[in-house]
Amino acid sequence: MQRIPIKYAAPGMKLEKEAVTPEGQVLCGPDSELTAELIERLKKQGVTVLTVQGRPVVLPGDKSLGTRLKELEHRFSKVNNDPVLKAIKKLIAEFWIVQEKGPEAVASAQKNGGQN
Amino acid sequence: MTREELIERLDNVQSLPTIPPIVSRLNEMVQDEDTTAARLGKVIEKDQVLTAKLLKMVNSSFYGFPQRISTINNALVLLGFNVIKTLIVTSSIFEVMQASDIRLFEHSLGCATAAGIIARRRGIKNPEEVSTAGLIHDLGKIVLRAELPKEYDRILATSNERELPVRDVELEIVGMTHSEIGGILATQWNLPDSLVTPVKYHHRPAKCKDHQEITAIIHFSDILVRAVGFGSGGDPWVPPLDHKAWDIIKFGKSDAREILEELDEKLAELANFTGEIDQEQ
Repeated sequence: MQRIPIKYAAPGMKLEKEAVTPEGQVLCGPDSELTAELIERLKKQGVTVLTVQGRPVVLPGDKSLGTRLKELEHRFSKVNNDPVLKAIKKLIAEFWIVQEKGPEAVASAQKNGGQN
Repeated sequence: MTREELIERLDNVQSLPTIPPIVSRLNEMVQDEDTTAARLGKVIEKDQVLTAKLLKMVNSSFYGFPQRISTINNALVLLGFNVIKTLIVTSSIFEVMQASDIRLFEHSLGCATAAGIIARRRGIKNPEEVSTAGLIHDLGKIVLRAELPKEYDRILATSNERELPVRDVELEIVGMTHSEIGGILATQWNLPDSLVTPVKYHHRPAKCKDHQEITAIIHFSDILVRAVGFGSGGDPWVPPLDHKAWDIIKFGKSDAREILEELDEKLAELANFTGEIDQEQ
């Protein structure tokens, strides 16, 4: 799944989570397919961010999962002896992997000894 | 520069916009028991620019109100006077920061967001105050940058060259860390203790005697927002965790997953708020 500013939304994308107005009103649910009209309507209602399925957009400043995991490792390089922080690092890595590739990817990444 | 020289300099900060005169007027009004939020709101709303700035801040996603706040009166009722006063005092400083160091601005917004999430989960009475403490926790860095730009550049360059955390290099070059500097300024500006303490002790939470829970939350939120890599506090490293502070707020893995999820969602909304994506297009 990917969170995108609404201006990156395009017809054909499918919502992963419901679209919500700033007032908290739900406009359409998960699995709704975006159309040009729907996107316009969501914009008019003040929706700014959508959570869509897959990773359809390359946002400015977006980095690949591999780069992000490498940077995560570097950021933790001075606190690796702390068990709590180590656990948090692992949870962040897992969260990103699941977000990008789905839950089953975490197990195989751990098997390969990747980021942990 | 010695510590004493720096303290003297801080007594007479020249480079930052001064505190709006409206703040002392509001402080006087608050002393009066008859003052209502509606009256305070009327005084603030006379200044349209300030009103617009305040409404933008209180409606940003890190405070997390589901409904749009459209009047200062509402903002005062929902967020409390401490928060509104702090936002008035620091609003011009955040403008300086947004213009000069957008990554530090993002780090501050990110910390405010994480702090609000944790405060709400812990059922703290006024989570907006905790968010506001997160927003201003690195006040000292903005002051250093504005008041001593040469020293600030040297601090960043040295941190980078020797791979040392910024706060260690600050001690070496100006004799004080940004948290102490921020604490001195926040005290000078008469900000409430519940906000001064986390600014002053966010890297040494075990040292504070009051407001330990809010300070522990800011300490951890700073770590968390650096951990996920949102914005920049000047160096890339996650600071050490104080385990006394962690004992106050600790949570398990499933809570941590929920916090990460909520943080990720709110940070995506913030990217819109800072306008970073618009600028890069």
